[in-house]
Amino acid sequence: MQPQARKVSLSSGELSYFAAGEGRPVVYLHPAGGVRWTKVQDELAKSFKLHVPIMPGFDGTAAHVQVKSMKGLAALAGEFIEKTLGGPCDVIGCSFGGYLATWLAAERPQLVDHLVLECPAGFRPKGKGERPADPEALKKVLFLHPEKLPPETKTAEQEAGNRKMLPYYGYAADTDEELLARLPSIDKLTLILHGTGDRMIPKESVQVLKSRLAHAYLVYIWDAAHAIEVDQPERMLAVLTSFLQRSEGFMVNWGTLAINEG
Amino acid sequence: MKFSFFHLMPYTHLDLESHEWPFPNRYFDAEKASALYRTYVESMIHAESCGFDWVGCNEHHFSPYGMMANPNLIGGALAYPTKRVKIAIVGNLVPLNNPIRVAEEYAMLDCMSGGRLVAGLMRGIPHEYLAYNIPPGESWERQREAVQLILKAWTEPEPFGWEGKHFQYRQVSIWPKPMQKPHPPLVISASNADSAKFAAEMRATMGMVLLADLPSGKECIRVYKETAKAHGWEPTADNILVGMHTCIAETDDEARRWLAQGLKYFDQVLMGGLQASQRIILQKTRYFENEESRDRWKSRLDKRKTLTLDEAIERGTVLCGSPETVVSQIKRIHSELGHGVFNFTVKVGTLPDEVIRRGMELFRDRVLPHVRDL
Repeated sequence: MQPQARKVSLSSGELSYFAAGEGRPVVYLHPAGGVRWTKVQDELAKSFKLHVPIMPGFDGTAAHVQVKSMKGLAALAGEFIEKTLGGPCDVIGCSFGGYLATWLAAERPQLVDHLVLECPAGFRPKGKGERPADPEALKKVLFLHPEKLPPETKTAEQEAGNRKMLPYYGYAADTDEELLARLPSIDKLTLILHGTGDRMIPKESVQVLKSRLAHAYLVYIWDAAHAIEVDQPERMLAVLTSFLQRSEGFMVNWGTLAINEG
Repeated sequence: MKFSFFHLMPYTHLDLESHEWPFPNRYFDAEKASALYRTYVESMIHAESCGFDWVGCNEHHFSPYGMMANPNLIGGALAYPTKRVKIAIVGNLVPLNNPIRVAEEYAMLDCMSGGRLVAGLMRGIPHEYLAYNIPPGESWERQREAVQLILKAWTEPEPFGWEGKHFQYRQVSIWPKPMQKPHPPLVISASNADSAKFAAEMRATMGMVLLADLPSGKECIRVYKETAKAHGWEPTADNILVGMHTCIAETDDEARRWLAQGLKYFDQVLMGGLQASQRIILQKTRYFENEESRDRWKSRLDKRKTLTLDEAIERGTVLCGSPETVVSQIKRIHSELGHGVFNFTVKVGTLPDEVIRRGMELFRDRVLPHVRDL
């Protein structure tokens, strides 16, 4: 399914986003590498109304001068949801986007229904997790199955520009202590996904989220590194769509004889 | 050097050869089996007082080869009558079983025994895949995934889910968790290069049983150590377990006579059906990841069948003789392999239980004092 490129005017400036599909609204917050349209977005768009905003400064877009922090970015994401969807939606955040989604749930809880944190950044114990600068080494940390990568559409300049945005937003390379302290206040039904081969976000990061969030489920995706969507899209979708459609009922194996699939 | 008293728990009341698989269970007599279980378990309990460090058993199906469809039940029977000895279940066949059930039962055994479990996580010999209707070609994938899932089940501080290729659990939170932290020591079979690599990756003790010869054992140990180093750890001698058929008697002649008798039943009755089924699997499936491993396994089976007892002793692949002879055999094999755990398979076929008992006492009085400090 081809996503439509759109723009929306927000109080801090114009924001580009992709839209695809119809159904219950889902917002997907992208990782530090920018938007990568994978099989996961394609499949989600078959059942949901999917919006994927490009955070200011990423993928060649202009930064918003008033938005310079993760908290500020969460406010912008909240305004985006209000303007484009008009109310609460399910929020999926991947890595950097997972960090942002957690801020959004803390700051604007009324806009978030289900929360999905896919290998979220922001909670790394100090010194843990690999973050190689060398592109080849980075690729090895990101993917166990790089052969599954869709063709790269970003230019080298865009990739370099994306990398610069992390310090711009005051991205916590280790643990964001302020957000950590606010985790117990987040009461959203949350799904945390982590690849069993993720060397960038250590398991301690997701364990702390699981222990501090009131209603969270942690699921490990076997044979996936940091980029779960690339390494194991089918496994991720099996858990993700079931969670979004059935809430706590995602724990039930419905088999083929379910009398009430909802 | 640590010593393990390992029991296959064979059914020993058959008087026919069979090359059928599965072995027809019309020949099974529950009264006789009941007596055998009692004898075997009592002998395993007695091993503690004979100085053994571990007492162990494993899992087999559909055959008189071993009557332990679930060795964890034997572990439970050993947990309270013993106080010191490690209970080595070597092990559960994880690709065939529900890995969460394995994690739970092992955690139970570890708690019941006061933290004395040695947890074997084995792939299983080929014919077991027929018994549980699991594709042999999936054995490696299932083994890798199941072992990591079991480790997660033991060590995760919070409930978790697992979305894998062969195993899916939306939420796991086992009760009890193991007593030993972070988890009980692992043993993974490593009788070929592929399995030696996997054991090293998992930081498990490597287990080698039924060696074809010492050079092939040395090669597996080299691969294991090399892989461990690449994964950031250095195995000690205690991380290398070598297992052999063992018979200790008053004299060399007596030991050879008894072991020869036991081996005849082992090879002709217990192994008959297994070899037939294993050949089918080796020829028709991808149980082994490459032809080299498959050919090595086949040649090991063939060599074992044709080897005389004298040749096996000479090759250093069985322990057999008077206490003094066995001391020198242990020293020779240890000097070649540098291992830290010696696993004695004592109930070889129909080798009489009273002979085994006497051998255990000879081990305690006249073998162990000379090899404990190796």
